Amino acid sequence: MSGVTGQPAPGAAVGVASTGTEPGRPLLEITDLRMYFPISSGILISRHVGDVRAVDGVTLAIQKGETVGLVGESGCGKSTVGRTILRLYRPTSGRIVIDGQDITWAEGSTLRAMRRRMQMIFQDPYASLNPRMTAAGIVSEPLEIHGVGSSSERRERVRDLLATVGLDPDYGDRYPHEFSGGQRQRIGVARALALHPDLIVADEPISALDVSIQAQIINLMERLQGEFGLTYLFIAHDLSVVRHISDRIAVMYLGRLVETATSRELYDRPIHPYTVALLSAVPIPDPAIERKRRRIILTGDVPSPSDPPPGCHFHTRCWLRARLGNPERCVVEAPALRELASGHAVACHFAEEVDGSPEQVLQVTGEGMGGSSSRRADDSPTGRVAAAGPGLAT
Amino acid sequence: MHLLSIRDLVVKFRTHDGTVHAVNGVSFDLDEGETLGLVGESGCGKSVTNLAVMRLLPKPAGHIEGGEVVFQGQDLLRLDESEMRDLRGKEIAMIFQDPMTSLNPVLTIEEQMVETIRAHRRVSKSQARARSLELLTMVGIPKPETRLRNYPHQFSGGMRQRVMIAIALALEPKLLIADEPTTALDVTIQAQVLDLLQRLAADLGTAVILITHDLGVVAGMTSRLNVMYAGFVVESASTPDLFARPRHPYTVGLLHSMPRLDAQPGEPLIPIEGVPPDLRRAPVGCPFAPRCAWRLESCWTGMPSLEPIDQTAQIVTTGPNVTHRVACWNPATPDEAVAARPLREGFTPAAAPAEAVA
Repeated sequence: MSGVTGQPAPGAAVGVASTGTEPGRPLLEITDLRMYFPISSGILISRHVGDVRAVDGVTLAIQKGETVGLVGESGCGKSTVGRTILRLYRPTSGRIVIDGQDITWAEGSTLRAMRRRMQMIFQDPYASLNPRMTAAGIVSEPLEIHGVGSSSERRERVRDLLATVGLDPDYGDRYPHEFSGGQRQRIGVARALALHPDLIVADEPISALDVSIQAQIINLMERLQGEFGLTYLFIAHDLSVVRHISDRIAVMYLGRLVETATSRELYDRPIHPYTVALLSAVPIPDPAIERKRRRIILTGDVPSPSDPPPGCHFHTRCWLRARLGNPERCVVEAPALRELASGHAVACHFAEEVDGSPEQVLQVTGEGMGGSSSRRADDSPTGRVAAAGPGLAT
Repeated sequence: MHLLSIRDLVVKFRTHDGTVHAVNGVSFDLDEGETLGLVGESGCGKSVTNLAVMRLLPKPAGHIEGGEVVFQGQDLLRLDESEMRDLRGKEIAMIFQDPMTSLNPVLTIEEQMVETIRAHRRVSKSQARARSLELLTMVGIPKPETRLRNYPHQFSGGMRQRVMIAIALALEPKLLIADEPTTALDVTIQAQVLDLLQRLAADLGTAVILITHDLGVVAGMTSRLNVMYAGFVVESASTPDLFARPRHPYTVGLLHSMPRLDAQPGEPLIPIEGVPPDLRRAPVGCPFAPRCAWRLESCWTGMPSLEPIDQTAQIVTTGPNVTHRVACWNPATPDEAVAARPLREGFTPAAAPAEAVA
């Protein structure tokens, strides 16, 4: 707790330098992380009857200063990953290492000290700010909890923080309901910044905001990252947003990572059949492109994480498996995440069969896989690059 | 004659906090079989416009203060409640964002479907049941016989929305109003539901009004678009025209502020600064003026009407050749629309008049 009084304004190097990271070592490393939530049944005697396997063996490393996007559909476990990293849950198994320090089972003061370095921005700026506290009180609270500075120093720091996120420092004595949604999210960002964290887990930080406001918050987060050397784990369901903000993207399905790659590579050359379908499903605001696009329409719903399908979790909806004549291997053996190209890892037994090219998507949709017959961009970037690049064509 | 003609619709809500000016004179037409998108952010009046068409504004706060809603030659605002009830479901159907709140949780899907059908058609229970089965099959629900006996909570979000579509189309309405039908759904499920909606509407020749904030969704689904802001239609055009040649600074701003999946890496987002206006204040001037980089002095005092961008054009209000119209004193030029800022030498947005600041 020493050396933190009278902290300089954000941006000054002192606060950050005190937590110097060894070069080359990832800031955050999670290994085979599992988070099961028990399901119990019975009134008097509660029996453990099963588990919701929210996170089922996730391995991921994040370098300092990097933004990693974690995407997936609702219920895939992406938020649970974020919350487990911050140790808001006690993991079932696996390892969480921040800057060389294992915090998987940390407790009490050790955990509290580590939490100074990891902060969270929440989805709903209405629910995540205490309505009875002023904006200044909300931003100041982390400083008070961690005993940073005298009360006058804290006041000064809060004013700095509010200005940093683009709010008038004089608005500090207003209450959350007096702010708009975008302004509230700025308060949430200021609170996350208060302790000079290294890692910020942002869980759907813009999905509750109006379209015209979303870009303001994205740009703010990008600017702050540049100013303070922040590392982000950006959790969202919107692939367009994740692709915009992330250096690397991890795609999650039913508690497991199915593909990780740089955001450019993932978009140009998606390999996992789920990623290919996900990308093809995202609407592009351009009618000329939309008219020509073909979508791979996945059949059915996401299975329940309390009873995931055996083998590859995606096999029940997989268009590739159907094309390959439903091989048994997908049902019996869970595919490991394996690196197919530098920095591009995929969890699929038959990844070599996918090239994500328009021809392949056309074949898939043309074969009556429940696909729409009307759209597919022949000139989509997916197609262009897959055709020009090295490709993993069959 | 158009299927639907809305003229100068004005809707206000009287609340404890004062009068909310939700819709401030909206006019548009719709032909049979057309798909029209209403795009805008929360509070722009897109949903309220359609609730007014259905005469389903929340009581007692919501009031239609003026205008006409002419559907098949009949002004809906003059019908009494029983005539209106006859029309809802049969001629105009609606699906909402959250199917859980629009389905009755204590009735099975069969009971709800049979009830809807028999409320408007003289058919026996077994005929209505057969029709329900046919509809569930049509919207792609597996094992429809079993599913008919299920309750809404036993369906996933995507399946519930399919059930809603089945109920909405049960009586083959002329007009379907879909209010953010896929906003609550995951993107792969959204693709399923949009695909279904588009196919069925085309098969049945149903006109669709699609209300959404998602420009990506309307790009693939609609043939015409109205962009709304603070209770006004600010731009109206065919979908290809609007995306290719946006003229209203708000439309331009919207298109630049959302990341596109196919954007070049590193392409910056250009946000619209400021916040949407407080609708409790009666609109003076253009409601977008405080956020607009193109504003002139006149923007602070007068709201321009929706006028064709080519002033000599004969105004066509429906169909693929609809006239591109914009409500703006100083629309963006094509180059400015690409740059997302005014490019005229020495141009600065007009400062707010003194009384507006106070």
